[in-house]
Amino acid sequence: MTKEEKPVPLTKLPDVCVRCATCMAACPVSRVTPRFPGPKQAGPGAQRFRSAAEASVDDWIDLCTGCRLCDTVCPAGVPISEMNMMAKAKYLDERGRTFRDWLLVRSDLFGEMAARYSKIVNPLLKKKVVRWLLDALLRIDRRRALPAYEHPTFRRWFRTRQAPKGGGPEVAYFYGCFTNTNETDVGKAAVEILEAHGLKVVVPPQRCCGIPRLGVGDLRRAREMGRRNVDFLLRTVRGLDIVFSSTSCGLMLRHEYGPLLHLPGAEELARRLFDICEYLLGLHEEGKPAATFQPIPLKAAYFAPCHLRSLDIGLPALELLRRVPGLDVSLVEAECCGLGGLYGFKKEKFAIAEEIGKDLTEAIARMKPDIILTDCEGCRMQIRHLTGLKVLHPVQLLRDALERQGEEIHRVPVESFNYLG
Amino acid sequence: MDLQTEVLIIGGGATGTGIARDLSLRGIPSLLVEKGDFTSGASGRNQGLLHSGGRYAVNDPDAARECIAENRILRRIAPHCIEPTDGLFVSLPEDGPEYRANFIRACGAAGIDTLPLSPREALAMEPRLSPRIIGAVQVPDGAIDPFTLVVENARDAESRGARILIHTEVTGLIRDGLRIAGVRVRDRITAEAFAIAATWVINATGAWANHILRMAGLQIGLALSKGSMLITNTRLSERVLNRCRPPASGDIIVPNDTVSILGTTSLRAEDPEHYEVTPAEVTFLVDELSRMIPDLKGERFTRAYAGVRPLLQSEGTNDDRTISRGFALIDHGSCSGPAGLVTITGGKLMTYRLMAEKTADFICERMGLHVPCSTHVQRLPGAGHGHTLKDRLLRLRRQTPAAKGEILCDCELVPREAVDAILREGKVRELQDILHRTRLAKGTCQGGFCVYRLLGLLNERSKADHRGGSNRILKGFLEERWKGIRPVLWGRSLKEEELIESIYKGLFNLTPAEPGGPGGGEA
Repeated sequence: MTKEEKPVPLTKLPDVCVRCATCMAACPVSRVTPRFPGPKQAGPGAQRFRSAAEASVDDWIDLCTGCRLCDTVCPAGVPISEMNMMAKAKYLDERGRTFRDWLLVRSDLFGEMAARYSKIVNPLLKKKVVRWLLDALLRIDRRRALPAYEHPTFRRWFRTRQAPKGGGPEVAYFYGCFTNTNETDVGKAAVEILEAHGLKVVVPPQRCCGIPRLGVGDLRRAREMGRRNVDFLLRTVRGLDIVFSSTSCGLMLRHEYGPLLHLPGAEELARRLFDICEYLLGLHEEGKPAATFQPIPLKAAYFAPCHLRSLDIGLPALELLRRVPGLDVSLVEAECCGLGGLYGFKKEKFAIAEEIGKDLTEAIARMKPDIILTDCEGCRMQIRHLTGLKVLHPVQLLRDALERQGEEIHRVPVESFNYLG
Repeated sequence: MDLQTEVLIIGGGATGTGIARDLSLRGIPSLLVEKGDFTSGASGRNQGLLHSGGRYAVNDPDAARECIAENRILRRIAPHCIEPTDGLFVSLPEDGPEYRANFIRACGAAGIDTLPLSPREALAMEPRLSPRIIGAVQVPDGAIDPFTLVVENARDAESRGARILIHTEVTGLIRDGLRIAGVRVRDRITAEAFAIAATWVINATGAWANHILRMAGLQIGLALSKGSMLITNTRLSERVLNRCRPPASGDIIVPNDTVSILGTTSLRAEDPEHYEVTPAEVTFLVDELSRMIPDLKGERFTRAYAGVRPLLQSEGTNDDRTISRGFALIDHGSCSGPAGLVTITGGKLMTYRLMAEKTADFICERMGLHVPCSTHVQRLPGAGHGHTLKDRLLRLRRQTPAAKGEILCDCELVPREAVDAILREGKVRELQDILHRTRLAKGTCQGGFCVYRLLGLLNERSKADHRGGSNRILKGFLEERWKGIRPVLWGRSLKEEELIESIYKGLFNLTPAEPGGPGGGEA
């Protein structure tokens, strides 16, 4: 990829595009629906027809999932997904957003509450009548299972747990909302595996990264949330590296806070941010004190999320997993799971998300794995939904493979996700 | 085949088709012959500027008054060919405040509305303007689409009984004693030659006026002035930008649809057929216009082109910018030439309708008819069917196969349906005819990616094989395309061009035409 040195203003990006249409072949959405004209047409193509002074007409822009595969393949280095984001923001700013979108992007606010009352909330969310009501009133598709809440939250668990004795270099952990309230075991596994590598984990104050806001083109609020996080993270961890286990949160922190949202301090923060597997692999490769793994005789399929590929760090999880003896792990040959975060929950987009996911379902069916591993919670939800198989974060399996001194128990991967089928 | 008509018009530009329409509205039959397609001359090779008259207000008040009058008429009769952008006359420090004061006064005298703007106001309206500006004046300039304008004049004339033959070249004038009694013509595609008898022959060939007159042993004082222009990939401004100074070269930027057109130069030309945009002109235009828009140098340009203005020559002027943009109607019979031959030339796109009116008035007077002109009130047939950029963008929504919304040209969003409609009409005979009637190949890639799609469509319609097949047409197109893009091929355009070249040469195995050879190797 030949990125231009100086950032080119949005209005000039049609000049940078060479119209090769590689992105048109990579876009999962235009592959399954003619209603989305594809990245080249919706991005640099449409830009020549837009006027900042006039109301936008491109309603199809809301069909972009924000997977960023177009950016990944563009040989000219056009930030196509950013163009789409700006167009979506303008379109939705003018047309207004639905109550559903207002509610969904605030999941970080009611998540803690829902987790506390998970014993009441979870059975409720499972009920057909509730799902039907959510579908009819809010247009949240009833065919989509909703994630269950877990109590206590990861944050509470971390605060109240018996921290291991001893020093070691410190590392900060950004867990993300979903890990905090819906998949706490991912957070626990992350902490354990970091500690097994001789690190002392600190959890700085943090808020929702704001990526759900980008999904509904609300740049202003995304920026507000980002600003708070930059403040928290820079102030408390200056000098420390920060690892994240949620690919999309990480992408938001590392790539959107700066180039898209222009938050002060974002560049300094980005230099300190690492995907957890990227970080661990670095320790292994640099010959730093690293944990060793005991054999796990399983056939695993690893899926590389779109946002991970956007991070441009290769596939560190896959490389780490290959260090686990006995684990037969191979890469799922599919582009995108289709969920697109909150996208696939929306009634009008459910069918698109399903259709995109077909490739992935077929690829997994061919592989017949015992277990599927992927870094992104959205992908995990979608793959569970599409295949009914067990899907974990790579760190959960790595944690289970840890060779502990004095422990000879062979641990099998836990069923960690309380899934509302 | 021999034909007969009352009035024979030579030239399918704005003036010729305008005359055909005017005559048809007055019930006078006419036949128009054009050696290429409509708008092949200066009508299709200008800056697309709907003048307010401001440009001429100080130095040529008559031309200014003509412009503003026609400006108002064209907005009424051809709203779908016009984008009422308004224009700014921008003063830089070197232009000084004096000319600006004169300008406002002269516009007032010519009846052109002006709105003086402070630098801050002008910059708020057009942020890419130089921060050095000392003021601006808003006038009712606009952008005009000459292709649609001319095609619609022709279509309206035809629907009212006029006959039009394109790709039909005049090879000689037929004399009958002291009269011109008709013309000999040749179909440039079938090579068929025939004669057309006419009571009146109107020479509306613009820069080719003397070419026709030479067939009768005549000549008029006509200077040919080449004007070159550059097209950018995106629109630079929302309004027409002019320098507020005496008319000079490199002082106008016209927003046109998705692009902006930068112009112009003025260089004496000998031949209306053979000329090119020189590197010196390109450098000059970019340098000079970057005084108004400083970051112009980093702009991506998609094409350069030039047109030849026919300027009526008075004695002793060497600077073509000082020659009046007025027009002349010459009845050769009344000035020792053969009777029945009339030449209308000079003028400019802005005054095409007035030129047509005066010509038709003259013909009526000679025929003893008293039918008044109505082209200033009769709207063109397509009026009310404009396509704004927003409308065009919405075509992306109809791209489903069910909605038959397949898009042939991605850059300009030209749907297959638009080309189908033109083919159904049955009037087009060459690839360039289709390109004149749509915006196909006028976008960023200049047809590099869409012309082969068009050829596929033409093949389906068996339109492509009557002159040696798609391969020959494609090569012809690429040669023309190359002429336009070569002068501005640097930076980002060059990157894309490398890709396009590799597609044609590497994938399609297309080989360049051999110099002097017919067509070159076959793919």
